Amino acid sequence: MQNRSADFKRQVTIKLADTRLQQALSRLQSRFVEGRTAVISEIHDLQETRDAAAMIRDRALDNLDHWLLHFEAQATRRGAVVHWAETAEDVNRIVAGIAELHGVKTATKSKSMVSEECGLNEALEHAGVKVVETDLGEYILQQAHEAPSHIVAPVVHKNKEEISDLFEKIHQLPRKTGIAELCREAREILRPAFLSADMGISGANFLIAETGSALIVTNEGNGRLVTTLPRVHVAITGIEKVVPTLEDVATLLRLLPRSATGQSITNYVSLLTGTKGEGDPEGPEHFHIVLLDNGRSSLLGGPMQEMLRCIRCGACMNHCPVYQNIGGHAYGWVYPGPMGSILTPLLGGMENAPDLPNASTLCGACSVVCPVKIPLPDLLRNLREKQLVLGMKPRQETALLGIWAWLALHPRLYALATGFIVRFMKLLGGREGLLHKLPGASGWSDGRDFPAPQGRTFRELYRQRKHP
Amino acid sequence: MNARERILARIASRKPDSDALGHHLATHPRGPQPPVPCDLKKHFAERARKLSSDVVEADQLSHAPGLIADYLQQKMLPMQGVCWPALADLPWLEAGLNIEARPARDRDLVGITGAFCAIAETGTLLLLGGELTPASTSLLPETHVAIVHPHRIVATMEDAWELLRREFGTPPRTVNFISGPSRTADIEQTVTLGAHGPYRVLVVLVQSAI
Amino acid sequence: MRIGLFVTCLVDSIRPGIGFAAIELLEAAGCEVVVPEQQTCCGQPGYNSGDSKMARALALKFLAEFESFDYIVLPSGSCAGMIRVHYPELFKDDPEQLTRFIALGTRTFELTDFLHRIAKPEKMPGTFKGRLTYHDSCSGLRELDVYEQPRALLAGMPGVTLNEMVESTTCCGFGGTFSVKYGELSTRMADNKCRHIVDTHAGTIAGGDLGCLLNIEGRLRRNGDHATRVLHIAEILAGKDM
Ligand code: SF4
Repeated sequence: MQNRSADFKRQVTIKLADTRLQQALSRLQSRFVEGRTAVISEIHDLQETRDAAAMIRDRALDNLDHWLLHFEAQATRRGAVVHWAETAEDVNRIVAGIAELHGVKTATKSKSMVSEECGLNEALEHAGVKVVETDLGEYILQQAHEAPSHIVAPVVHKNKEEISDLFEKIHQLPRKTGIAELCREAREILRPAFLSADMGISGANFLIAETGSALIVTNEGNGRLVTTLPRVHVAITGIEKVVPTLEDVATLLRLLPRSATGQSITNYVSLLTGTKGEGDPEGPEHFHIVLLDNGRSSLLGGPMQEMLRCIRCGACMNHCPVYQNIGGHAYGWVYPGPMGSILTPLLGGMENAPDLPNASTLCGACSVVCPVKIPLPDLLRNLREKQLVLGMKPRQETALLGIWAWLALHPRLYALATGFIVRFMKLLGGREGLLHKLPGASGWSDGRDFPAPQGRTFRELYRQRKHP
Repeated sequence: MNARERILARIASRKPDSDALGHHLATHPRGPQPPVPCDLKKHFAERARKLSSDVVEADQLSHAPGLIADYLQQKMLPMQGVCWPALADLPWLEAGLNIEARPARDRDLVGITGAFCAIAETGTLLLLGGELTPASTSLLPETHVAIVHPHRIVATMEDAWELLRREFGTPPRTVNFISGPSRTADIEQTVTLGAHGPYRVLVVLVQSAI
Repeated sequence: MRIGLFVTCLVDSIRPGIGFAAIELLEAAGCEVVVPEQQTCCGQPGYNSGDSKMARALALKFLAEFESFDYIVLPSGSCAGMIRVHYPELFKDDPEQLTRFIALGTRTFELTDFLHRIAKPEKMPGTFKGRLTYHDSCSGLRELDVYEQPRALLAGMPGVTLNEMVESTTCCGFGGTFSVKYGELSTRMADNKCRHIVDTHAGTIAGGDLGCLLNIEGRLRRNGDHATRVLHIAEILAGKDM
């Protein structure tokens, strides 16, 4: 997917003015935030479980080569073929090659953010394979030619009227207005696609080294259909998604759906191992697993490694006051919210996403809900540090902060300067005690007054009090 | 070097301790697990109902068809469907049901399965795919009925993995956790039951195997 | 107990009254309060903009001025968080300094946290009559677990009614330089906060961080609300609410 993160600021203005989007985003609070709160307490010792989950992910990441090789050996033993892709283009080429090898004309697909990362659909269409997205949300987006705006709830930005309009237009059926009716219509339209597809494409929430399995977490059942009915199954995922054992995945499964959608467990958790067995009435004859690097390996062993713990639950964005106000599209790439503000510059180049690490108040709402305890604000701060080193910070900002720090290190001059400034600002504040304009800081004063200082600094008054 | 070798070179462990890693695999230690009340059957039924499954109890296996027929009738659903081969010999006809023992096809509206085990912690059914236990039976029809023996209800997910290891060694091609009817909340985050899989799930808990 | 009070740069420049209120509260609780006069800024603006070098220099300055006290108290959760949580991070590769900063951090407290958990005064010197609502600033809340403390202190003041707003723990949109760099977004966040404040009909909004309070007051006033009073918790507890 093309990276449009550099356009962030302009997008913010557009999104803040989009009343329909604002209405749609207001549902985040009631559905996801409150939904999570309601079920997360079911976990007996949440902090202990989060610690354990973080440790499981760290164990996997600290020895990623070991676990991936073990995974590969086990998966291969069971008849799967493991492919290694360094870039998005590699994935597209590999999957197109698999399609060609098996004479695939049509493919059904369940939700996969990694495939969004690669722009796989366009690549396959280009190679003559018809791809049908089957996750309801992704199906809607495919029909509307839009990108997902959330990693768990991809069409959170649309309301049902928009979807009614869309379905009426593309399905050429009488307009449905109820949500259940819309779902039923999509089900009936998609059923034949499931039954006739040559190839199923899915993501994988986890890879299990112990058994060589891919684990897929879904609610709609499309993930099961896509991995059961077609004769070829391709699972695409990031290299970081491996975990050692089934027990490890159990701990993560306790947290993932609760953090994501406020469910104790998703409807379906499918553990897929190898190809169909002898005498099996169903299941794919060919199982391909594509492992994507795309910059992930560069985070290993460095200060950003913790980001690779991410299990893509979306809780960080659901709880982020920035995401809550602008939605996912403003971020410009596949991954929005706090995790996206870190992954986008890391995987897509800092220069292509200069705003994202800065567009956060570092309020920490994300890190307290992250099931694998990623210190997201610390990582954002770390990226800001990188920007400073790369000379990407606006000159005015670094200059001002430099002067401020220099003054702060020289208390006497600091006292003089602040003493002057507060008097001046008090004057500007007038009788009302408010500054309506802040030269050089219009970002503040375009929307807010600035309460004028009292006119004398604390240190002056304090000294006066001590030595009257 | 090919892509595989280049990626592996980039992710080479800095401090590999293969003994510790081997030990972790061999012992597969459990993380913290929730306390599950000892009445597993009751807890399972409670949790399953919470996830919108329907649960009924039968004294013995031969009573299951009658209960299933009642359920279908009550919901005004068709009295025909498919089941796993192992369940072919139940007295379906006597209960007024027309049930064929074969994998489900698109038009089948009722699919009747057993279960490998069930998990009380979440009210989840665990089904293994295989020659005699096709996965499509629990997937394509609009109604999924699962016959479960209470002695196969385990407390936690970890217990289920343990049972799987003990009885199968390695997992078969598909292991499915099923926790209620398929659903979607993609449109306006409003939960709608019945997405691409079943609209309803009936769990029949059968006390004795005869 | 000898307390080193760090008033913070914002209080020093903009609302010195908060500093005096803090002194009064601490003295009323039986503490000996010292205000090192060379104090300036804790270094947070630079730190959050990615300038760790600058932050380290100011951290060392802070250490030199405050290390000798029994406790260090700040009328700000975000500056206290800077010292307790982030100073040690800045020196994680320097074991010797790290030990000193960790020791410093364990003795550093946000004002209400200190009053409630350590000083435990019998009663607050001030009186306040009426309703108020409380905004939980992010750093104090998430880095220092300051939530119950101000509420407990307010509960000890007869005449105070606390009308909780919805989402009191959601960020007000201040975020230091964020409020200038992403003004529009910051303003929208402040707007949401102001709406929740006004909805309580409390008439007074209190908080523990001047940065957030300036942001909230600035938006209220721009929206034409000149009635809602915006006060620091120290001003209320000390009865300096003017
Ligand atoms: S960063 Fe944490 S909260 Fe955000 S999606 Fe990843 S795992 Fe979930």
